[in-house]
Amino acid sequence: MRFPSSNRRIWLDRVLFLGPATLLLVLFFVVPVVVDIGIAFTDMGRDLRVTGFTTENVQRMFGGDRRLTSVMLTTLIYVSCTLVIFNVGYGLLLALLTTALPDRSGSFFRAIWFLPRMSPSVVYALLWSWVVAPTDYGLLNQVLLAIGLPLADLKSNFPMVLVVLANGFIGASFGMIIFTSAIRAIPQHLFYAAQVDGAGPLAIIRHITLPAIRWQLSFVTIYQALALLVSFEYIWLITNGGPFFDTTVYALYVYRRAFDNGQYAYGAALSLGLVLVGTILALALWRFFDMRALLQRPRIEVG
Amino acid sequence: MRKIRLLAAALLASTTLLGTVTASFAEEVVVKMWARADRSGPLRAGNIVAAAEPLNAALKAAGSDKTVRVEVFEGPASGFDADALDILKAFAVNQGPDVYVAAHEWVGEFAKAGYAMEMDSFVQKNPWAFGDIIPVLWNSTKYKGKIYAIPQDSEIRMFFYNKDMLRKIGKDEAFIDGIPAAVEKGEFTMQDLSNLAKEVVDKGAAPIGMVHRPNAGPDYLMTFAAFGAKFVDEQTGQLVLPKAEIRRGLEWYAANAANGVTPKNNTSMSWDEIQGAFKTEKAFIYHQGVWAVTEWMVGDSKGANWPNDRKWYFNKIGWVPAPAATKGGQPANLSHPIVYVVNPKSKNADLAAMLVAYASLPYYNTKHAATTAHTAISNGQRSMPEYLNAWYLDAATPMLARTAFIPNHPDFGRYNGILFKALQGVETGRLTPEKAIDFLEDELSNELKGGLKVVEKLS
Repeated sequence: MRFPSSNRRIWLDRVLFLGPATLLLVLFFVVPVVVDIGIAFTDMGRDLRVTGFTTENVQRMFGGDRRLTSVMLTTLIYVSCTLVIFNVGYGLLLALLTTALPDRSGSFFRAIWFLPRMSPSVVYALLWSWVVAPTDYGLLNQVLLAIGLPLADLKSNFPMVLVVLANGFIGASFGMIIFTSAIRAIPQHLFYAAQVDGAGPLAIIRHITLPAIRWQLSFVTIYQALALLVSFEYIWLITNGGPFFDTTVYALYVYRRAFDNGQYAYGAALSLGLVLVGTILALALWRFFDMRALLQRPRIEVG
Repeated sequence: MRKIRLLAAALLASTTLLGTVTASFAEEVVVKMWARADRSGPLRAGNIVAAAEPLNAALKAAGSDKTVRVEVFEGPASGFDADALDILKAFAVNQGPDVYVAAHEWVGEFAKAGYAMEMDSFVQKNPWAFGDIIPVLWNSTKYKGKIYAIPQDSEIRMFFYNKDMLRKIGKDEAFIDGIPAAVEKGEFTMQDLSNLAKEVVDKGAAPIGMVHRPNAGPDYLMTFAAFGAKFVDEQTGQLVLPKAEIRRGLEWYAANAANGVTPKNNTSMSWDEIQGAFKTEKAFIYHQGVWAVTEWMVGDSKGANWPNDRKWYFNKIGWVPAPAATKGGQPANLSHPIVYVVNPKSKNADLAAMLVAYASLPYYNTKHAATTAHTAISNGQRSMPEYLNAWYLDAATPMLARTAFIPNHPDFGRYNGILFKALQGVETGRLTPEKAIDFLEDELSNELKGGLKVVEKLS
C-alpha cells in the first residue's frame, strides 16, 4: 500500500507528536544548561554583570571549597535514606497493605497518605515546624509530656531524621499510587492459583507481586532518586539547612551560594556539578535496572 | 488708576490662560518606590508617599504643570540583605525603582554599580531639609568619601533584662538600679553579664538565661565589638578578620550555650519563640534593639500583657549596651541606620530626590520614629512633643553617644552571614571556638578572595 505524499505526512506527524515535548525540553532543560555553562565560566556577581571569563569557579569547586565534601556526604545520606526507607520501601508497604484490605478501607488509607502531597509545600513545612517546635507547645512534645517522657528537640539534635521524615511522608504517596495500580493490574487468577498451591501471604508477595511490579519499582527508584537529588524546598522551609550545615544538601548549597550571597557564577558552576551527577546517576541506575529491556518493542503484536 | 486696572486685567487674563494651558498639559509623573514589606517601618515608604503632597504644592506654586504620584512596591524579602539582592536583580533587568530603601551598609555596593545617586551637592543646596541631620549619621551614607544616600532612621541596640528575676534571686534595688552605671564605667563586664544570667537560671528564677536573634543581622556585632573586634581596616578600608578578638567573642557565646545560659538551639528558634520567652518571663536577657519596645514589649502581643507606661516598664525591665570585655574597658553599642537611595539613571531622579528631601523633614520623620521606636535623624526632632512622648526613645537616646555603625563595605553582608554561621556552629556544639576561627578564615578568604586581611590580634 502506498501513501500519497507520505514523507510530508510523516514529518508533520513527527512535528505534531514530538514538537511540543521537544520544545519544552529545549526551552527548560537544554537552554538553561547552556546558559548555566556560560555563566559558570564568568565572574557574574551580585550586580549580574559579566566583566570577564574565568575558570576560577570550577577551580574553587575542585580545590578551594572545603565544605563541598561534607555537603555531598549529607546529600548521599539524605537521598538514600529517604529513597530506600520511604519513597520506595514505605510506598511499597502501603501499596501492599492497602491492596490487601477491602477496596473501601484501602482507598481510605491511601487518601490519608495522599493528603500531604495535596497540601501546599509551605503549609506542609509549617505544620512540621509546629509539630517539632522545641517548646512544650510543640505537638510532638505535648504527646511526650502526656506520656511522661522528656521533651525532644528534633530540629537541633536530629535534624537529618527530621528532614528525612518530612520528605519521606510526602514522597511515599508517589510510590504508593504507582505500585497500587501495578498490583491491581496483576491477573487475579495468579493469586488464586498460588493460594490453591498453598502459598502464604509472604510467599505470594515474594514470588508473584514483586516480580510483577519490577518495572514500576525500578522506575520509582530512578525517578525519585533524581527528584530527591535536586529538591530542597522542605529542608529550606523546615531547618533552613541547619543547624550549621547539618542538613545542607547539594541543591540547597547551590541555592545558598547563588542567591543568598549573590555569587551567581559560582552557583552556576556548582549546579553544573549537579547536572553532571544527576546525569551519571540516571545512566547508572538505568543500566542497573536494565530499563532498556522495559522500553523495547513488544515481541508480540497485541490486539 | 486705569493703568492699574489694565495691568490687573492683563494679569488675570494671563494667569487664566496659563491655568488653562497647564490644565490641558498637566502631566502626572509616577515615581516608583521600592521598600521591603516590614512591619517595623511601614512609614519608610509611607513618608515618601505623603511627601508627594508638599512637593505637588510646591510644583504648583512654581507654576509647573507636573504632579507627582508615588507607586510603592513592597518587596517580600525576609531581611534587608535579601531585599538588596532583589533590588540589584531588578536593576540588572532595567526594572529598578526610582527611589528605594536600603540598609546603609549596602550603599557601597549600589554606588559601585551606578545605581545610587551622588548627593553631596543636593544635600548642600537643600539645607532646609538636611541642615539639621545628626552629623554622625552622614558617615553611614558615604562611599569613598561621598554621600550616596539620605539617612532615614537610626536606632540603638541593647541587652534587655528582667529586673523582677533579679529581685527573685535576692538582689537589692541598689544593685539592680546600678547595673547601667556599672556598665558605663566598665566595672560590669561581659563575663559578669553571663554570670548573672547563670545565677538567675541556677536559682530557678527563669529557665532561660539569655536569648538573641535567630538569624544573621547586626545585633551580635556589638558583642564582638565589646571584645575589641573591628571589621574594617581603617587605613586601607579592607575587611579584616581579627582572629584573637573574634575568638574571644565566640568563646563567650560557646560558654553561654555550654553553661545553660543560652539555649543551644537559639539559632533554630523562631522570632516568636524568642520574643515570647522574654515577654512571658521565661528568659532573663534578650538582646535586640529599642524598636522591640513598641513592637512587642508593650501591649498584649507574644503571650503577655504589659502596661504602656514608663514607670511600670522601667520597674520591670532594664537595658544596657554590650558591657566591656575586661574591667575598665569600654562598653560597645551599635546603630544600623536605614537610608533612602535615589536611582541616578531614572528620568525622575530629581523629583525622587525632592520627595526624599520632604520625607526627611522632622514632621514626617518623627511620625516614623515615634510609631516604630527608631531614633531621630535630626537634632530638632528630639524636642518635638511626639518624640518626647515616646518615652523609650527619650530614655534610649543618650546611648547614641557611644554608637558605632556596621562597616559601609559592599561585602560586609557576606562577611556577616559567615560570622553568624560560626556563631551557630559554636552554640550548637558543631564547632569549638578554635575550629570556628579556622572555618571563618577558610570561608571568608574563599568568599572575599583578596579582599580580606587576616590578623592574629588587633592590639
